[in-house]
Amino acid sequence: MIDALFEGLLLVLQWKAFAFMLLGIGLGFWVGLLPGLGGVTTLALMLPFIYAMKPVEGFAFLLGMHSVVATTGDITSVLFGVPGEGTSAATILDGHAMAKKGEAGRALGAVLASSLVGALVGALALAIAIPVVRPLVLAFGSPELFMIAIVGIAFIASLSSQGARGMLRGFLAGGLGLLVATVGQDPQAGIARYTFDSLYLWNGLDLVPVLIGIFAIPEIVDLVVRGTSIAGDLPRGRLNQGAMEGVKDTFRHFWLTIRCSLIGTFIGIMPGLGGAVAQWLAYGHAAQSARTLEERQGFGKGDVRGVLGPGAANNSKEGGALIPTVAFGVPGSSSMAILLGGFFLLGLVPGPDMLTTHLTVTFSMVWTIALANIITVVVCFAFLGYLARLTVVRGHLLIPVIMVLIFIGSYTTNNHYGDVVLMLFFGAVGYLMVAGGWPRAPFVLGLVLGKIVENNLYISVARYDTAWLTRPIVLVLMALAVAAILYPLIQARRSRAKGAGHA
Amino acid sequence: MHKYASLILSAAIMLVSGAAVVIAMDWPLKAKLFPLVIGIPVFCMAAAEVAWGLFGSGQRGEAMDFQLSDQTPRPVAIRRSLQAVAWMLGFFGVVALLGFPIAIPLFVFLYLRLQGREGWLFSVAFSAVLWVVFYGVFDRLLHLPFPAGLLQGWLGLA
Repeated sequence: MIDALFEGLLLVLQWKAFAFMLLGIGLGFWVGLLPGLGGVTTLALMLPFIYAMKPVEGFAFLLGMHSVVATTGDITSVLFGVPGEGTSAATILDGHAMAKKGEAGRALGAVLASSLVGALVGALALAIAIPVVRPLVLAFGSPELFMIAIVGIAFIASLSSQGARGMLRGFLAGGLGLLVATVGQDPQAGIARYTFDSLYLWNGLDLVPVLIGIFAIPEIVDLVVRGTSIAGDLPRGRLNQGAMEGVKDTFRHFWLTIRCSLIGTFIGIMPGLGGAVAQWLAYGHAAQSARTLEERQGFGKGDVRGVLGPGAANNSKEGGALIPTVAFGVPGSSSMAILLGGFFLLGLVPGPDMLTTHLTVTFSMVWTIALANIITVVVCFAFLGYLARLTVVRGHLLIPVIMVLIFIGSYTTNNHYGDVVLMLFFGAVGYLMVAGGWPRAPFVLGLVLGKIVENNLYISVARYDTAWLTRPIVLVLMALAVAAILYPLIQARRSRAKGAGHA
Repeated sequence: MHKYASLILSAAIMLVSGAAVVIAMDWPLKAKLFPLVIGIPVFCMAAAEVAWGLFGSGQRGEAMDFQLSDQTPRPVAIRRSLQAVAWMLGFFGVVALLGFPIAIPLFVFLYLRLQGREGWLFSVAFSAVLWVVFYGVFDRLLHLPFPAGLLQGWLGLA
C-alpha cells in the first residue's frame, strides 16, 4: 500500500504527466475565474483530448483542471460578488462583504488557505476511505438522502436570518427554491410542469443563470448606486495586507475548517448531492459555530468563518466524489459522470481493479488533487496583491466588464437567450430579496436540492411506504433537523434572558 | 424600501404558489405530489409574511446576507438604480438585435462615455481590448457559438 502511494507520486511527477497537469491547472484557473463557464462543461470539452494519453497523464490533465476550478471560482465570488462557479456562490455572502470593507486580501487569503486544507482533506479521505467506504454508501438509501437534503434546508433556513420573522422568511425562501425546482418535465410521470408550452422550460431552470442573476445583479445595482469602487473610499493600504491574516484565520479556526472539509467530503461521497449543496451546508455549519446571537449577526456582513466553511467544503468534495466513482463506478455528480467516461476512454474499468491492479493510478489521482491545489494556491498568493487591487478600480470601469461576463456566462450555459432572460428575472428577485432583508441562501439550496428531494421522496414512498420514516438513520437526521430549527430560537431566548439579567 | 420590497416579494410568492397549487390539481398524483406538498405550505407562509408586513410590529428580521448601501441620498439611489436597470435592459436589447460580437464593444463604449464620462480615446481603447479578449477566449479558443442578431437576420446579413 505504502509502495503504491509513492509510486503514484512518482507517476504524477514524470515530466509528461506533470506537464499535462500544469496545462489542466492553467485551463481550470481561467474557467474558475470566468462566471458561468463551468468546470463540468470544460471537462466535457476536454475529454476528447485524452484519447492519446496514458491513464496517469489523462487523469493528471482532467483532475488537475477540475480540482482547481472551485478555488479560482471563489476568487471571483470574493472580488466581484459574482459566483465564478455554481459551487462557489456561498463564498459571496461573507467574502464579498469583506472585500467591500477593504479586506479583500484577508478574504482571499482565507479562502485560498481553506481551499487548500479542504482539498488536502478530500485527497486524504480518498486515500484512506476506499477500503472502508462501501458500508457507508450502502447504508444511505433514498430515505436517508431525502433526510440529508431536509436537514440542509432546515439548517440554512433557520440560521440565515434573525428572529421568528427571519426564520419564516428563511423557510419561505427555501420553499420557493423547491417550488421553482419543479419547473420542467416531471421525472416520474413525464408531465410538463409549469412550462406554459415553452420548449425552453422543459428541462427545468438551469442553476447557473439563476445563481448569476440572484447574486450578481443586486451587487451591480448597488455598485452603480454607490458610484465608487467595490471597496468604496477605504485607504488602499489595507487591501493587500490582510492575506497572511486570512491564512492565520484558517489556522485560528482550524477545527471549523476541518469540520467543513469533512462535510464537503461526506457530501461528495453521497451520490447525487454535489458540491453546490456541500458549500451551503458548510456555510450553515460555520454560522452555527457562532456562540452568541451577536456573533451570528456578523455573518453575511464579513465574518471570515463564512468564507472558510464554503472555501474548504467546495474543494474537499472532489476527493469525496472520487471515492464512489473509483471504487464502484457510481458517479456522484455530473462532473464525476464525465470523468467516468474518461476512465473508459483510457481503458480502465472502475471497481475492484482500481484498488488492486491499478492502485498506483488511483493514488496518482490523490496526488494530482493535492499537487494541483498546492500549485494553484501558491500561484494565487503570488498575484494576490494584484487581485485585491481590483476592488479599488473605479466602479464604472468594472461594471461594463462584469455585465459582459454575466451576460456571456448566462448565455453560454445552454447557448440560449432564454438563460439571459432568466438571469435578469432572478436578478430582480435577488434584488427584492436583498432590499427586503430576505436571505438568498435557502432559496438557492432549495433550488439545488429540489430534484434530489423529489426523486428521493418518491422512491422512499414507493419502495417503503411509510416505513422509511422509522429507519434509524432517518430518525437521527430528523432529530438533527428539529435541533437545527430549535437551536437558534433557544439561543435567542438565552441571549434575551441574559440581557434582561444584566439590565 | 425594506418594507415595500418584502411586501411585494411575499405577495408575489403568494400569488405564484397559489397559482402553482391550482395548476397542479389537474395532474396525476405522481406529478402533483411534490408541487402540492411544497406549494401549500409556501402559500401559507407567504400569506403569513404578507399579514406580518401589513399589520405586524415592524420587526425587520435581518438576513445573514449583504445589505444595500444606505449612504447615498434616497432620490439619487432611486435614480441610479433605474439607470442600472436601464443599462442592463439596453444591453440585452442590443445583444438580441446585433448579437454579442457587435453588442459588447458598443455597450462598453457607450457605458464608458455616457455613464463613466471617460474620454473618447480611453473608451475606444478599453472597448477594443475587451472585444479582443472576448473574441480570443470565447470565439477562437473555446469555439462557442454566438449567433448574429435579429437585425442582421432581417437585413439578410446573417
